[in-house]
Formats: sequence, C-alpha cells, structure tokens
Amino acid sequence: MRFVFKTKYRQDVDLFKHNGQRFWYGLLAIAVLLAPFILDSFYVGELALVYIYATAGIGLMLLVGYTGLVSLGHAAFLAIGAYVHAYLLSRGWPVPLSLLTAGLFTAAVGAIVGLPAMRMTGIYLAIATLAFAIIVEQVIAHWESVTGGYRGMLVPDAQIFGVDLSDGRPFYYLCLFVMIACLFAGLNILRTPTGRAMIGVRDSEISAQSMGIDLAKTKSIAFAISAGFTGLAGGLFAHKLGYLAPDAFTLLTSIQLLLMVVVGGLGSMHGVFYGAIFIGLLPQGIAIMRDTLPAAIGQMPGLEPGLFGLILVLFLIFEPLGIYGRWRKIRQFFDEFPLYRKSTHKRQKSYLRTERVR
Amino acid sequence: MSTTDLSLSFGGVHAVRDVTFEVDEGEVYSIIGPNGAGKTSIFNLISRLYEADSGNIEFQGEIISNLPPHNIARLGIARTFQNTELFEHETVLKNMLIGRHVHRKTILLSELLFLPGVAKQELRFRQVVEDVIDLLDLQSYRDQVIGSLPYGVRKMVEVARALCIQPKLLLLDEPSSGLNPEETEDVAFWIEDINQDFGATIIMVEHDMNLVTRVSNRVMALADGAVLAVGSPEEIQNHPEVLRAYLGD
Repeated sequence: MRFVFKTKYRQDVDLFKHNGQRFWYGLLAIAVLLAPFILDSFYVGELALVYIYATAGIGLMLLVGYTGLVSLGHAAFLAIGAYVHAYLLSRGWPVPLSLLTAGLFTAAVGAIVGLPAMRMTGIYLAIATLAFAIIVEQVIAHWESVTGGYRGMLVPDAQIFGVDLSDGRPFYYLCLFVMIACLFAGLNILRTPTGRAMIGVRDSEISAQSMGIDLAKTKSIAFAISAGFTGLAGGLFAHKLGYLAPDAFTLLTSIQLLLMVVVGGLGSMHGVFYGAIFIGLLPQGIAIMRDTLPAAIGQMPGLEPGLFGLILVLFLIFEPLGIYGRWRKIRQFFDEFPLYRKSTHKRQKSYLRTERVR
Repeated sequence: MSTTDLSLSFGGVHAVRDVTFEVDEGEVYSIIGPNGAGKTSIFNLISRLYEADSGNIEFQGEIISNLPPHNIARLGIARTFQNTELFEHETVLKNMLIGRHVHRKTILLSELLFLPGVAKQELRFRQVVEDVIDLLDLQSYRDQVIGSLPYGVRKMVEVARALCIQPKLLLLDEPSSGLNPEETEDVAFWIEDINQDFGATIIMVEHDMNLVTRVSNRVMALADGAVLAVGSPEEIQNHPEVLRAYLGD
C-alpha cells in the first residue's frame, strides 16, 4: 500500500500524484506509440476505433458521469461531426482545420441543445435528446444536396502533412493524438472551477446555486464540451467508415456510447477507456460467437442490440460502478490482504434526503 | 441587510406574511418560532430559491429580490441547509473548493489548457480553504468523501463550504439540529469565532434556546409566518406572545 506524503498544495493540483503513476503511464504511452510497429494492421485499425470511441466517451463522461445529465442523442453529435468533416474535406479543406471546425460546430450545436436541458433532468432529458437525435437523422436523410441522403456520401481520401490517411499507421497516430488532447482537456476541466461546477450541478442543484454556480450556463457548457469532443470523434469516425450514410448513426449508436460510460464506470475517466475497449471489441466478439454457436441462436437477427441491452442491465444490477469500480475493489483486496472484508463495499441503506437515488 | 413587507404563500398557505426586519452589520441575529412558522422560507427567499409574492429584500443598500439565485453568493451571502446539501460523491476539500467558485477569475479556454494562471488560482483557492479548515478543525477529514462522514461532521463541512465564499452575511439553517450536546457546545464556539474573527454577520434559524441565548445579539420570534416580537434573547424568552405561540393558552 502506498501513502503519498504531501508537502505542497501543488501536489493536489497535479495530474500525476506520485512517481509510480508517472512511470506506469509513461510505459503505457510508449506501448501505444510502438503498437503499430508490433501489431498486425487489422489490430491497429481496431485500436484506432477504440481511440475514437474513447474520444467520444470522454465527452459523454463529462456530461453523464460528471454533470449528471443523461444523453441518448450522442449519435447525432457523432453524425454532425462526421458529416461536417467529410463535407469540408470535399470542399478541399486541409484535415486539421476541417476536423477542428467539425468539433467547434458540433460544440455550438451542443450548446444549443443544452439550453432546454436547463429545465429537464433524468428521463425527460433522455427523451429530449433522443428526439434531437431522430431530428438530426431525418435532416441528414433528406438534405440530399449536402449529405447525399440515403445514397450516402463518400469521405474523400485525405492527406495530413503529406501523409495519406487511408494508410493504417498515420490514421492510428491521428486518432491517438486527438484522444490524448481531449483527455488532457477533460482532466484539466475537472481540476478547475468549471469542472467543479459540473460536479456541483450533479450532486445538488440547490446548493450549487447558492454557491454561486449558474446552472443554465454550466449545463450548457457541459453539453458544448461533450458535443465538441464527440464531434471530433465523429470526424475521425468518418475516415474509419469511408462512406457515410444516415443508418450509421442510429439509436443503437447512442446506446452503445452510453453503454460505454456505464460499463466503464460512471464518474471516472479510467472508466471511459475500459468502456471503449469493451464496446470497441464486443462486436468482434459477437461475430466470432455467431460462428461457434448453434445456428438457431448464432444467426438470430438483433443479437447485437439484445446483448448490448442485456450487458447494460447486468452491470446496473451487479456492478453500478462499472469495470473501473470492479478493478478498484480487486486492487483494494490485494492492498489490504488479508484484512479485506466482503462488506467493505456493501451499499448501505441511507436515510438522508440527499442520499436517495435521484 | 433588511426586508420590507416580505410575503410568500403556497396556494392558500401563507408561509410568510408581511415580514419586515433589519439586521445590522456584525450582528448575530436569530430567528425562532414553532415548526411551520416560516423561518426556513425566509432563508429561501433571501437566497432567492423562492420568489416572493410581494416585498423587498435589501443587502448593503442594494435591492436583491430581483437577482437570479446564483448572483446572491457573489454579493457575499452564503448559507447552509437544514438537512445538509453537500456534494455527496466528492471529498471535503473539493466541496470547499466549490465554495470558491464565486472568486473564479479564469475563463473556460484557459481552464481547458490549464494555463499557469489557472494553476496559481487553484493554489490561492487552496490557501483560503486551508484557513477555513484550521478555523473549524477539519484537518483529519480533508480527503474523505462526504458520503462516509457522520452527520455532525457534515454539518461542519457545510459551514466550512459556506465560509469559503468569504461571506459578509452567513445564513445558518438550524446549525445544531441532529447534533449531540457536546457538538452543540462547539457550535456556540465557532459561531462566535466566525462572527468575530471572520467578521461575518450571521442570521441563524435555531430551536435550541440555550444556544440562541448564548450567541445572539437579537432574536426575532415568528409564528404562522408573521413577526411576533423582536428583542434581546431575554426579552423574547419572557415575551407573553412568544410563550403563547409555543405553549398555547
């Protein structure tokens, strides 16, 4: 067990709490940087997809896990980012500028969607964002002059600094770079007043207000940042897909994204990555399963959404803190061995008003 | 700080009727009254969580009864809640840092990039938070999550969070409810500390008459939303109207 001996306030502000963390994260950074040279190109592509999901996941985590606002409409932000990026590329914009514009545009849309969120929470907000996603889907399907409607839209081959993005490795590094940039931005937000305001809104709106936190502004900012990150992910996703069509961004995609943050563990940035790995690789797992299972089950239509739903429900019942929560428990078990008791993490009955499930 | 003819009703229930009172700077002012007398309603009116039907609230010569609720803290009015409204899933330290929100000077973009100015602001915030921790002896709870703390400590943390605003006026909603006699004793000490060392004016809703008598300069007694009497603690305790409101005829 490690006890961090703090001698400066700065230590509480820093992202890395001690040298052990610096070492392990450094090692991880080297591993992901070297991965494309070691792994097969198929896995490099899959890993890039995981990074794209993680980028969107960081945005969604800020909204759902830290501000406490549920969104069932994040596929729409992903779609907006993807279409804006593809459209600008086809007009001859360079990749970095186009990607950034896609992110900013999506953030602006997010801020507008966030406005009604001032008055809504929980299930009502989920329904409102769901409606928004359906509207966006319809707009994309019918605005044929820009989006190509149901016929779809080809994402132009693009180059970044003279390197072709359709190649696996450069694309992998682009995704990695965007993800890490978003991660740092997200972590920075969380250690500054804006992030604390979000947490305040999540835990108690009444006292957040009397602490001087502007609820409407905070929620709107949370939506904007969340949408912006998801828009960036959408731009990258466009390259991954190669061909955009409205049915690539359906309700199932939104649920997948939400599944990612819940399964990963709400309220922790670590959770995003566990969740992204999980949903990035799950479709592959299901595909493999389809071949091995008896045909009656394996070839069943709707197996994928069904399994997603089932996993979500199982996590909510048995491990509400997600994979990251489970990991922390396992770590604590070894830290405190042999003193760990099963009841340590037992959920207590609570009687205070503020402890009730919202 | 003063109110004039403040009224509030929920449907047919008149929670607050034409309440006019004035609190001087540096004073400890207690509001007492039987359950449902409208004490907490007055607090909620001052912090703008409720909209008054009529009447004005003035703070330092400025009318505040038309401001949005999040601007109240900016003026230097902080409050606590009867049943504690803390940010449950965060540490004591984070809760108190949220109290510094009104003193934020950085903008979103610089926070996204965590520019040096933001880091300096965080350290300045921390300095104030540590001063408050020292004042209220919360050192050992600094890194604990609110959800794991006993009720008495939570009440203290809530006061600490309010103090991080560095308020000119502090509204305490039943600071001693749910505390044992020993903790109530402590409450009396830190109310004096806050009043004298911090220089904050305090308005307090309280049922414990010992505590009220000990710390307050003046007391206002309410019943059914209306003012019964205002005066020194001794006067109020022996006031015939007040006795009737509590004990009946």
